[in-house]
Amino acid sequence: MTASTTYLDSPPADTHPNLVDDEFELPYRLAQIGQLANDVRAHLLKMIHLAGSGHVGSSLSCADLISVLKFDQMDASGRDVFVLSKGHAAPAWYAALMVAGELDPEEIGTLRRIDSRLQGHPDRKRLDLVSVSTGALGQGLSVAIGRAQARRMRNDDSSVYCLVGDGELQEGQMWEAITYAGARGLANVVLLVDYNRSQNDGTLEEIVPLHPLPEKFRSFHWHVQEVNGHSQLAIRDAINNARENWMQPSVIIAHTRKGYLGPGEVLLNGSHSGVLTPEVYEDAVGYLERTTV
Amino acid sequence: MKATRDWFGDGLVDVAAKHENVVVVNCDLASATKTSKFKEAYPDRFFEVGIAEANGIGVAAGMAQDGFRPFVASFGHFLTGKFLEIFQSVGLNDSGVVLVGTHAGLAIGKDGPTQMGLRDLALMRTLHNVEVLQPADGVETRKMLEHVVSHDRPTYLRLCRQPQREVHDEDYRFQFGHPDVVRPGEDVVIFTMGGMVPVVLDAVDVLADTGLRPTVVNASSLPMDHEATNELLGAYRHVLVFEDHFVKGGLIDEVGRIVLDLDRHLRFHAWGVDDYGQAASPEELYERYELDATGVANRIRVATSAASADSDRGKDTQR
Repeated sequence: MTASTTYLDSPPADTHPNLVDDEFELPYRLAQIGQLANDVRAHLLKMIHLAGSGHVGSSLSCADLISVLKFDQMDASGRDVFVLSKGHAAPAWYAALMVAGELDPEEIGTLRRIDSRLQGHPDRKRLDLVSVSTGALGQGLSVAIGRAQARRMRNDDSSVYCLVGDGELQEGQMWEAITYAGARGLANVVLLVDYNRSQNDGTLEEIVPLHPLPEKFRSFHWHVQEVNGHSQLAIRDAINNARENWMQPSVIIAHTRKGYLGPGEVLLNGSHSGVLTPEVYEDAVGYLERTTV
Repeated sequence: MKATRDWFGDGLVDVAAKHENVVVVNCDLASATKTSKFKEAYPDRFFEVGIAEANGIGVAAGMAQDGFRPFVASFGHFLTGKFLEIFQSVGLNDSGVVLVGTHAGLAIGKDGPTQMGLRDLALMRTLHNVEVLQPADGVETRKMLEHVVSHDRPTYLRLCRQPQREVHDEDYRFQFGHPDVVRPGEDVVIFTMGGMVPVVLDAVDVLADTGLRPTVVNASSLPMDHEATNELLGAYRHVLVFEDHFVKGGLIDEVGRIVLDLDRHLRFHAWGVDDYGQAASPEELYERYELDATGVANRIRVATSAASADSDRGKDTQR
């Protein structure tokens, strides 16, 4: 695939094993995740372009988070659970499944089409690669907690990952769930907050700000980490740390940019509901092609 | 005489002994919903989420998706108040949660309309994959519980606070959706459910000397089996429905739909609660809303006599 692949003689890209951190292997691994994340961005953009609608900015802001989870951190045998509570970012998850070879890329044109498995928001009854159907915001963490509690009862040491949007934290149910998981010390729950600071009607700062978010989670007895949500290394380390903590549920507050394509490149100026015109789409694809080795 | 919530509390412990996947998610109402017995018997299978029904429903949905059969118990009014959560995390996800809504109808009395389960059926009936159940007595509660743990479909179990007498004997066989004739009669058929079943039977007794002999059907599980209900309706001219629920959206609409689909003229009269309800003793409330035996008997008499005086008008509907 790349020159570094040949040089390092690393495992093939289609198996995504959890790698032991190795000073020799890590740079290759990160480069590989970065390339896969770019593939995810290209796939989700094409999907939304073909569908004629979809949440571009929200899908792009979590593409790195989803890529690190899917290609590096989640158990390759499928024991771990991923709950996309911010269901409007469904194209990012479908794209990751396509890049991972679990979903046929032929389906890329079926997003939001009648009878499609690729519903506008994830639907587990139509696509079994979705663990929880979501869409109306604020519900995913509660379900993730139920999954985690069930696993704990069975002495199953797998992890349950839940990705929420920052605006979603304005929902009251989120704080019911955060209170509960903190009180019960549900350490097999890892919550990732896509902190892109933007929601439908404007910025969080304008609508209802969340800061100081880390302090809020700490006071609810969560293990808190803040990372650059576009640094695959930082995300990877944070998820590893989260799994190491066996006393508390973990939250990774990932600072992201809505519409993030790559360093210095933000699609539609980070807008939530900007339209992906053919010109914008072609420019974005051109950028991704230039940055893909 | 025992309330179905009490029969449920006892029965749940019994089925949990045989079904290890049964767990309880409680929203700070274990004593009122009678899951406290389960808590004592199986503390490791009892999850307290506090006064947070939305989270409780979601946590239960997650546990159901991972193979458990969670019972989430609260007042029916509070539980179904979290309808967006029920719709998505339970309904759309097809999560095998058993939502247990207690304190159905007016019977909570002096606590008033903010606690009364009067529009829970209207909400739960809209979800096509949810089984709605309301037992009429202890025998039926036990049989329903056995049915509930025999499958993993989303379920709403509606229970009453008021003690009720037994209307079934031990050999009663619960059949989902099937109209359960608890009193055979002729000409007039009355559909009702839950706490209203003994009330309607008492009302029919009151009418014994008038020569009216209505059939009484316990419609304890929804959706009703259309074929079986149609077959039953073939023998009658008058269909009456009484329910301890708002007049819109509950059993009245369930039966009304079946009657409308029939290619035959039937007289249809139905009664429930036609405002938000209010605070008073249960006795005063059932009297005020004419859902006690006297009120029900009067309504049966008036509806059937008005109908015979005006026999050619075809279908007429009150409320």
